[in-house]
Amino acid sequence: MATREVEVPTLAPALTPERPVTWPNRTRARLANGLEVVLAEAHSIPKFHGELYFRAGNALVVDAPSLAEMTATVLRTGTAKRASRQIEEDLRRLGADLGTSAGQDTSAISFAGLSEFAEPILQLVNELAREASFPEAEFERERRQKLEEVKLERASPGFLAGERLRKVLFGAHPYAQVSPSDEQVAAYQREDLQSVYQEIYTPENALLMLVGDFDSQTLLRTIEAVFADWTGKKPTSKEPAAPPKPRARRVYLVHNPGSVQTQILAGCHAITRKHPDWLRLGLTNSLYGGAFNSRLVMNIREDKGYTYSPRSGVLPLRQHGYFSVSAAVRNDVVAASLTEIFYEIDRLRSLPVPSAELADAQNYLTGVFSMGLATQEGLLSQFSTVELNELPADYLETYREKIRALTPEDLLATARKYFDSANMQIVVVGDRAQIEEQAGLFGELEVYDNQGKRAE
Amino acid sequence: MTRLQIPIQSTTLKNGLRVVIAPDATAPVVTIGVYYKIGFRLEPQGRSGFAHLFEHMMFQGSENAAKMQHIKLINSSGGLLNGSTMYDVTNYYEAVPSNALERVLWLEADRMRALKVDDENLRNQRDVVKEEVRVNVLNQPYGGFPWLDMPPVAFRNWANAHNFYGDFADLDAASLADVQKFFRTYYVPNNAVLLLLGDVKPEEGFALAEKYFAPIPAGAAPPFADAQEPPQTEERRGHVEEKFGTLPAMAIGYVLPARRTPEWFAMALLDQALHGGRAGRIHRELVLEKQIAVEADGGIEDLFGYNGPAQMTTRILHKPEYSAEATLAAFDAVIREVRENGISEDELQQLAVKWRSDYFSTLEGGRGGYMPRYGLMHLLACFTLFDNEPQLVNTILEGFLEVKGEEVQRAAQKYLRPENRAIVFRTPVKSDAKEAA
Repeated sequence: MATREVEVPTLAPALTPERPVTWPNRTRARLANGLEVVLAEAHSIPKFHGELYFRAGNALVVDAPSLAEMTATVLRTGTAKRASRQIEEDLRRLGADLGTSAGQDTSAISFAGLSEFAEPILQLVNELAREASFPEAEFERERRQKLEEVKLERASPGFLAGERLRKVLFGAHPYAQVSPSDEQVAAYQREDLQSVYQEIYTPENALLMLVGDFDSQTLLRTIEAVFADWTGKKPTSKEPAAPPKPRARRVYLVHNPGSVQTQILAGCHAITRKHPDWLRLGLTNSLYGGAFNSRLVMNIREDKGYTYSPRSGVLPLRQHGYFSVSAAVRNDVVAASLTEIFYEIDRLRSLPVPSAELADAQNYLTGVFSMGLATQEGLLSQFSTVELNELPADYLETYREKIRALTPEDLLATARKYFDSANMQIVVVGDRAQIEEQAGLFGELEVYDNQGKRAE
Repeated sequence: MTRLQIPIQSTTLKNGLRVVIAPDATAPVVTIGVYYKIGFRLEPQGRSGFAHLFEHMMFQGSENAAKMQHIKLINSSGGLLNGSTMYDVTNYYEAVPSNALERVLWLEADRMRALKVDDENLRNQRDVVKEEVRVNVLNQPYGGFPWLDMPPVAFRNWANAHNFYGDFADLDAASLADVQKFFRTYYVPNNAVLLLLGDVKPEEGFALAEKYFAPIPAGAAPPFADAQEPPQTEERRGHVEEKFGTLPAMAIGYVLPARRTPEWFAMALLDQALHGGRAGRIHRELVLEKQIAVEADGGIEDLFGYNGPAQMTTRILHKPEYSAEATLAAFDAVIREVRENGISEDELQQLAVKWRSDYFSTLEGGRGGYMPRYGLMHLLACFTLFDNEPQLVNTILEGFLEVKGEEVQRAAQKYLRPENRAIVFRTPVKSDAKEAA
């Protein structure tokens, strides 16, 4: 239809020879106080992007979930020298953006700004890292704010699914806690935040990374001047409880009244980024459901139209990683979607991947890997991955050749090892009456309400 | 003060297709975009959501690249692809290693020339789009708030006021004949711009553009319905039920001045004064100081990307113990303050620095952590399609930096008036919220 009659080439043009992929040099230093510094120049715009990472986060405090996150939230609201409003206006005056956050394994002050103001921006970051004053009124406001947020997130199907899967996979390990309960938020004390701050925010525990339009040597001298007299030890690490090893498929139905769609999330334990199988698992995942052109997307979206955004991924936390697959599907095709999700997993576990399909997936991963080269943020993210996971120094430079060396047999073995089909834990979030019977076809069923309580 | 000069070259092919190239060989990656000057605003009446459904159809096959081939050819070249439907434009874009440039141009030209889809493709994508609407709107707390809630309250012309994601009955009614007609009418080279950014030599880029796109015949100049609004004489209000969320919400939208007028530049800085993150007046007053709201953000969503009526919209989620009237009164106090007292010279300077810094990031920035130079692509496309002047990317910044304090205040006085705004209250069905205003 709608053809305009002209002579045109009917075959896709071949790829022309590749240009080499070159990662910028990194300048590394370790200050006398233990602060690690990594700098890389990228002159795309007259700005820079930075992260001051601390190698501990929410998982450090087992009995108070998200306390490190709360600490990060409040720490930007005042220092010995500046009140909250002053901090925000100074940032704007310097053309800067700044965020403070904590995940399970890291806390971070993230920032970006104009190169011409690099020094004052670093001074403000330094002040936040060392002299946060945790004003009582600011703490109280953020705590009340958080109480509303933890109620609000329970309205989101994606949150409810993730919360349940993490509980199932991690049990008594701190990774099981994605968010605090309102009782836990109510119990937060300002002093708790201050002791987390004292423990985590130290130079021995920190990594400062900057990518942008600067001269590395000059900037390094500035950094030394700004951060030199900061002192503090690494926090003592604690041995957390071992996560459970769930056997056999089970189904966890989270009843969300009035849902007009069902959020599926299924997962099983996998590996961390440091594991030698990481790259082959990444490639296997990409082929399964990690790319638009993957088997899962082509099956349940482009062929069957069950869902808009199916995907799979491997989430690498520092101590453990897990594989998961998700899709938000029409209520009447919950069972049909799960059947296809497992069909595609089992197919990868049963049959070697055809070599042409493997080559396509290798090209995809190696190509997309280079996209980060074009922006300061992209470079920062790639360098951070290497540093925070203590990957080999040549990780970025050798990634492409290692991916290209993988064979169909490697992928078959990887799928058999990590796509643990028989023991996948399945979460479905939706309207119980509409999906219970379908969900129950896939394993023993437990039902929860949207407040996280077990239902009959 | 640091500046940024983007090298830009452009030409127009005989069939009317504009071609814009911004070379930068830093990384061996090239971003390719094709923008068509048609968005959901001017989709056919009785076919709400059609422009977006059609966008999905553009991935369903063309004469020489069958269904699934488009996606496969890009991904297997090491690239990413997507498309999006906006008010006045629809874009299709890819970021690929630069050795795949010619392949991408072939694909884009093939679907501009000869889209080839059938009823089965249409049924499939109609189902996919319905799940997209469910996951983003119908099954999400505050789904579609305020971008789908505001238009029917704020506007009177169907073009501006309808459901852009589409009523399901309208999606069901869409036929293959509609797809064909829309394609023939709007997807013509003379209604589009091709953009090549990154690792491409201009002479090579122009030659490839000529090779693949020049054979596509021009179409008739597309008809565009009138999107003008009748004059508004009073504040408009509407109410929407919130099915999942726990907090009462409201959105307040003010209609913007025409693009590239002096008032528009001033309005952009006013927007930054009001909505610029935690330093912005609205967040500061409602969340940090008075502590009425849990979230208060928003602003002008895509300053450069609209070509018809648009709004600056504030989005507020407030604590249930405050009534809607009390929340709105606090918001109005912020508006009154800037109308009466304007902004100080110091605040203006802060805004100008932040504006410059943000603009650089827009030019460099990707989308969702990937798709390098998405921002530059979008600006070049809009400046080409709406203004026929891609070089505006390098000159428009001056207009914002030259805005004076009194111009910001005058913009506030002229545009931040009740008769120029609409308010949507989105109230939880089950909550202890006080009665909405």
